[in-house]
Amino acid sequence: MHTYKRIRLSAGILLMLLIFISTNSCKKFLDIVPDNVATIESAFKLRKEAEKYLFTLYSYLPENGDGWFNPSLTTADEIWYPQSDQATWHAAFRIAQGQQNKSTPYFDDWAGERKGGGSDTRRNPFKVWRGINQCNIFIENLSDLNKVRDIDPFERERWIGEAEFLKAYYHYYMLRMYGPIPIRDQSIDVDAENIFTKRAPVDDCVNYIATLLDSASRKLPIKIQDENNELGRITQPIALAIKAKLLVMAASPLFNGNPDFASFKDKEGTALFNPTYDATKWERAKTAVKEAIDLAEANGNALYTYKNDTYNLSDTLKTQMNIRNAFTTWWNPEIIWGHSNSYFINEALCVPPLERGSNFDRFSLQGVWAPPMKIVKMFYTSNGVPIDEDKTFNFTNYSQLRTATAADRYYIEPNFVTARLHFDREPRFYADIGFDGGIWYMKDSPSGSDENTYYLKAKNVQNAGYGHYQNYSETGYFVKKLSNWESTTRGQTNPTWKGYPWPMVRLADLYLLYAEALNEVQGGSSEAISYVDKIRTRAGLKGIVESWTNYSSNPTKYTSKEGLRQIIQRERSIEMVFEGERLWDLKRWKLAAEELNQDIKGWNIFGKTTESFYQERFVFNQTFITPRDYFWPIGDYDTRRNPQLVENLGW
Amino acid sequence: MKRKLIRMGKPITLLLVMLLCSMGLLAQQSIVVKGSVSDSSGAALAGSSVRAIKSGQVILSDSTGQFQLFVAGNEVLEFSRVGYTTSQLNVSKITPDENGVLSVQMTLYLENKALDEVIVVGFGNQKKKSMVSSVTAVNVEELRVPTGNITNALAGRVAGMISFQTSGEPGLGTDNSQFYIRGLATFGTGKQDPLILIDGVESTPTDMARIQPDDISDFSVLKDAAASAVYGARGANGVVLINTKSGKSGTTKFDFRAETRMSSNTKNFKFADNITYMQLANEATLTRSPNAVLPYSVNKINHTIAGDDPYLYPNNNWIEQLIKKNTINQSYNLALSGGNTKAKYYVAGWYQMNNGNLKVDPVNDFNNNIKLQSYSLRSNVNLNLTNTTELIVRLYGQFDDYKGPIGGGARTYNNAIWSNPVMFPAVYPAEMLPYIEHPFFGSSRTFSSDGNPTSTLYVNPYAEMVKGYRVYKTSNLMPQLELKQNLKFITQGLSARGMAYVRRTSYFAVDRSYNPFYYQAIVNPLDQTYRISVLNDGTTGSVGTVGSETLGYAESDKTVNSMIWAQGALDYSRRFNQKHDVGGMLITYLSSYESGNGGSVTASLPQRNVGLSGRFTYGFDDRYMAEFNFGYNASERFENNNRWGFFPSGGVAYRVSNEKFFEPLLNTINDLKFRFTYGVVGNDQIGNVNDRFFYLSNLSLNDGTYGSSFGRNEGTATYSRPGVAVYRYANSKISWERSKQINLGMDLRMFKSLDLTVDVFKQYRSNILMSRTYVENAAGFMATPISNYGKAESQGVDLALSYNKQVNKNLNINTRGTFTYATNKRTVVDELQYDQSLAYRSMIGHSINQVWGLVAERLFVDKNEVTNSPLQYGDVGLLAGDIKYRDINKDGIINDDDMVPIGLPTVPEIIYGFGSSVHYKNIDFSFYFQGSARSSFFINPQNIQPFYKNGGYENGLLNVVAESHWSEDNPDLYAFWPRLSTWNVSPNNKTSTWWMRKGNFLRLKSVDAGYSFNHLKRIGISSARLYFAATNLALWSNFKMWDVEMGGNGLGYPIQSVYSLGLQVNF
Repeated sequence: MHTYKRIRLSAGILLMLLIFISTNSCKKFLDIVPDNVATIESAFKLRKEAEKYLFTLYSYLPENGDGWFNPSLTTADEIWYPQSDQATWHAAFRIAQGQQNKSTPYFDDWAGERKGGGSDTRRNPFKVWRGINQCNIFIENLSDLNKVRDIDPFERERWIGEAEFLKAYYHYYMLRMYGPIPIRDQSIDVDAENIFTKRAPVDDCVNYIATLLDSASRKLPIKIQDENNELGRITQPIALAIKAKLLVMAASPLFNGNPDFASFKDKEGTALFNPTYDATKWERAKTAVKEAIDLAEANGNALYTYKNDTYNLSDTLKTQMNIRNAFTTWWNPEIIWGHSNSYFINEALCVPPLERGSNFDRFSLQGVWAPPMKIVKMFYTSNGVPIDEDKTFNFTNYSQLRTATAADRYYIEPNFVTARLHFDREPRFYADIGFDGGIWYMKDSPSGSDENTYYLKAKNVQNAGYGHYQNYSETGYFVKKLSNWESTTRGQTNPTWKGYPWPMVRLADLYLLYAEALNEVQGGSSEAISYVDKIRTRAGLKGIVESWTNYSSNPTKYTSKEGLRQIIQRERSIEMVFEGERLWDLKRWKLAAEELNQDIKGWNIFGKTTESFYQERFVFNQTFITPRDYFWPIGDYDTRRNPQLVENLGW
Repeated sequence: MKRKLIRMGKPITLLLVMLLCSMGLLAQQSIVVKGSVSDSSGAALAGSSVRAIKSGQVILSDSTGQFQLFVAGNEVLEFSRVGYTTSQLNVSKITPDENGVLSVQMTLYLENKALDEVIVVGFGNQKKKSMVSSVTAVNVEELRVPTGNITNALAGRVAGMISFQTSGEPGLGTDNSQFYIRGLATFGTGKQDPLILIDGVESTPTDMARIQPDDISDFSVLKDAAASAVYGARGANGVVLINTKSGKSGTTKFDFRAETRMSSNTKNFKFADNITYMQLANEATLTRSPNAVLPYSVNKINHTIAGDDPYLYPNNNWIEQLIKKNTINQSYNLALSGGNTKAKYYVAGWYQMNNGNLKVDPVNDFNNNIKLQSYSLRSNVNLNLTNTTELIVRLYGQFDDYKGPIGGGARTYNNAIWSNPVMFPAVYPAEMLPYIEHPFFGSSRTFSSDGNPTSTLYVNPYAEMVKGYRVYKTSNLMPQLELKQNLKFITQGLSARGMAYVRRTSYFAVDRSYNPFYYQAIVNPLDQTYRISVLNDGTTGSVGTVGSETLGYAESDKTVNSMIWAQGALDYSRRFNQKHDVGGMLITYLSSYESGNGGSVTASLPQRNVGLSGRFTYGFDDRYMAEFNFGYNASERFENNNRWGFFPSGGVAYRVSNEKFFEPLLNTINDLKFRFTYGVVGNDQIGNVNDRFFYLSNLSLNDGTYGSSFGRNEGTATYSRPGVAVYRYANSKISWERSKQINLGMDLRMFKSLDLTVDVFKQYRSNILMSRTYVENAAGFMATPISNYGKAESQGVDLALSYNKQVNKNLNINTRGTFTYATNKRTVVDELQYDQSLAYRSMIGHSINQVWGLVAERLFVDKNEVTNSPLQYGDVGLLAGDIKYRDINKDGIINDDDMVPIGLPTVPEIIYGFGSSVHYKNIDFSFYFQGSARSSFFINPQNIQPFYKNGGYENGLLNVVAESHWSEDNPDLYAFWPRLSTWNVSPNNKTSTWWMRKGNFLRLKSVDAGYSFNHLKRIGISSARLYFAATNLALWSNFKMWDVEMGGNGLGYPIQSVYSLGLQVNF
């Protein structure tokens, strides 16, 4: 009996164990994850966390203020690097060198790879498609009113608007680079069996982005109120400006009825380019640009002019300041969109050691960004017409030597002997380009004034000349425009650079786009001319009509649509030089095949004497293959991952 | 169990027979039957029982096997003997001789115990004859190897196991063999090797390596789904079950074993002599850059040839200077067991010391050689609480104490080949600077390609080896409680049991080392005398890490973890009407594992499993058998809805030999059974262990990289916030890996001595967790998505054959062999969508271990050929003598697109073994061969590229390179090594057929010889055996550079040949 009891006891224990294990709510036993493990849900619980998510969306904006990560600054023909120093070439410049390929594309924004250079991976985590996906996740979550309960409804609206803008901008950025792209309107389920996207026809892309920008602009503030904390955030004028740029691009020859891409179809046979020219696209663009200009102007945006002159600058220098500072002055009224996360960081690449400074260190004053000869020639004469059209000045023998006079002192050092090309040019030439013997006024001018200030010396073994094994200008010219006049390079200490929030859009850009659209809608439009003249006036030039009528060998050029188109295009190329617009403009005008198929030339930088220096010297023969090079290759990496993804034409 | 019963029944049977025997004499009979009883070899069987069934009389055969008795004409005689099968004979069928005497020659066959053998299966035992599933029961004796690591014994011994060893370094798992049941069947990043259960405790391969064959009672390998489905989500890769011994009633028995082992490398890589080294270094420099500065002057070479001052003209053979020829190890085991009806115990302890073969220098007072001391204590106590209740208490503690060089032993071998042999001596004599106590290690500045000294010192492998030591200690403690209750009072055949254990393991490591002072010789140009000068004393001009005389100290990782397990089971087993065998088992368990080194909140959370498993068996007449198993379990890793998985399996077996119609064949084919099983098993150990909770996203809300700033920033700070980085997207659908398995098996026994078991299997693995690396970028994923995407298939055959012949009373010969073939292929895999022209790049249809590489045609003939051939990886500097690859896709360039599947899988598809053991009187001798076939491996050329400089390393020159390389004098287009170089000519180092080698080999795996003493009873010793055992005695392979089994790991710590001398005493 005793034994029996014990048996029952142990059997009971066993049974209890069994019951315990099988029924003691296995669910609870397995639910071990505490509630506050960081997940995507937790990012949308409080405003404080959601704000970080919003800031994350901004972090994917292209870092245009860094030449290594700006997709267009060094990929065209505006800025050249020393040919000999290939090891340090970054991805963007390798494209200008004709090294683009589809197996490992350079500046591969589709994959977010091979930006920067060498082993530099600074921007590699910032893949545009990721940015778009993050926008989608943010919009989807913030649109759910049960999330981020502590946010003000107006702020929720604004944030969604910002996210929509960024999503639209990223699509626009890819469209500009790759042509037709997949439209990514929703976040993708990670477990989807086939996560394959498909490129949408250009017109669909444009309409999608435009609609999204409209939607965004309705939600965005017209003006930033809290400038100390919010300058750089997206506003309604920014959204309208990007829409304007988008629609002008879409109306331009590359995208509007381009026969070269008529055969470009996806795997199902859908044409990705509309081969029929559509004039209403220009109408639509014109309207969009005007809306953008009107709103910007209503908000106080205006063309920059140099004011508050404490240095008693000459009028000539003031004009140069008007031009230079329009781009480099922080948050000046001309800036519609300043990139608060990408200040210009390459001033050291622009500024060489200047003649009167004592800082000779070519490591901190590299001055390797070299404008090629053709960019120098592009600038107008002081009469405001092209050098080969000017009736009064003869530039045929542009390398002919000439001695500067005291009258030239705000342009060229008096008594300095330099090329004919450097005389009688428009103020923008002197404001934007550094050249041998030319003025390079800075706030730390050794004389304290604009007289007897820095003049560049660029011959071999001179301060700014060839001689350093690595850092020198390949052409003998320098990019003055991008250097902030308030940066200090004097003395033996390291220079202090006053990099500025990179202007993503400025008013002058919109004026020129408007003129362009007006002329396309109504050839020779006087309103178009008036908008170009606003720019010319600020640049110290007379209006188109006056300049061409009086000085041009083709005095009626502006009266025809084609003639005025050329004038507007040239004006735009000059005004927007070194801002990274040239590549996109040449492409959308379908002029890249002509412009980027030329020789890169400079002076004979190895020359130590005036005579030997001022010999034109061949640097590189640039090639541009049509239609291939109008768009980036998507690359094997992705076309092999997605069988529905067609590679761009020619690649 | 049955075996024990038989043995215990022996005295009773004898008594009974004797009793009956005397009674038999009383009966009256008419016919005389005379005869003899012998065994299959013809040897007389004394003491066999001959019983007349009808009359009941019994007689025993005499010492020559003879018997005689009187019976009635219709009598039936039954012959039996313990250990032999029983035979019957009808007297009426015997023809009388001329004297009317019936003559009988009866042969009794050894009972086939194998069929009644009880085999450990998942959560229980089964009789081998009623098995449906595919289980290999391993003879524990075969697992005894002189390396003391039983994982090294598996290859070729266990049918169904693919196993190989790539390193012989003593340490924490370093000399373990890798083993896969039926080969690799999955390519996921999670668990691929089998589940190991020791006494039901989930264990690591290293735990298994530390277990002693002396302590093992059963060792089973569960191979098919029917066998492993009860382990549900953990059994997909097969299961290894090990049970330890328990005590037996009786007086205390001691088993003692002592072994001394001599261990040496199976093979060392061979260096060329240093004169050749210097000459070829010069050649390597000139052959690529004719104007370069020569690294070695004629003067230096000549002095080295002359054998002048060894310190001024160093001439090192690092392997000889760092590595001993052999090392001596020891091992001791002691087990005692005994007990009575109330309690039984088995207590065992062992100690084992394994030394490495690194040299120890007297310059230090510490030992830098590897010394691994492992010991354990095991106590298994069975207590009969009541007649029906048994409590088993098992306590196990296992400890490793390790001491070894910083960076491990393999590092020393690596350093030996990566170090320059002629630039510095290992150490300068202490007399040179008598007032300084630290050793004067040799080194000098390395040189850049333009011949200028750099600020990096040459690595002195000797200094690296002796500069310090690492100590680590592991503890593994495990108390286990098991309660068994017979529930026959409820119904006959029902019983219940419960088991629980706690397991705590800990590990810590500490490094103590000094920074060596390096010296170089400074020659006085006047008289050619030299002095030595310190290079790194920290003063001006000092280079490299500053030396120190005192030991530095660094704590290394410490790991601790805890595991709790509890299970309860109900068992039912009963035979009805002598024909129907019904069995059932239900078991439920829960487990929880926690690590103290998770590193993150999620990784530190416990890992938990719960489950319910069952087995239902039915057998009819031992002829037809059916079985159904299931596992139903859950893991915390998955989302609520996908947490529970059901893993059913079933099978049928048909024992043809038990059919009536089979009777005529029974003398030839004694047993024949066919088996078929089909089922599903899972694997929840998928992905990275720290990558848990796939159903939750994982992100950082404070990643500065993704932050942004806004604001005017003129005199005021900007407003900045960090951003969000997503590390993982939530995927609630992620769940187990699933394995569908089909097994067809046959068990055959012939001639009462030949056993053959063959199993053919096919496995479909699905839901393999994969990172979707090849998702296009436009998807915009920030973290690589993961999903149960992959699929694989594997199939193969495994067979075991044994032949056991008792030739006569004194001689027994046992021959056996196994063969395992397992092949696999990926069927669904995350990869690029290759078009037709690149279809060969697809992994689909290829083995999980297939390698893609370039096809090397030969070496380039001349520069002209290089110029006119496709550009190889953009390297325009290639020359004659560099490897020429085939442009597979004819696109005019050689790049990764030209890589095709080359060679066989890197894991062997065939593992086999065969051997024999002979027992003659007191002498036993056995040998075993083991082989491997159908595998490829790749030499890593960068590792052995002579003269290649990498920091302070400058590779040595292997003899094979010295003997066969392309040179301008001897432009051999098929030389082993391409044109020499002092830098890395990267196209030459690409994975290609040039560096591919066959992995097959045959080795004499073991030889054993022993002598048993059985006349020692008077000194209290019941038995003793003195033996010699050896492993890895000989190797046959086409590959000679190193032990081929190490494959691509050939520069590591070599596999060991071990010769051991042992004594085993039982008293």
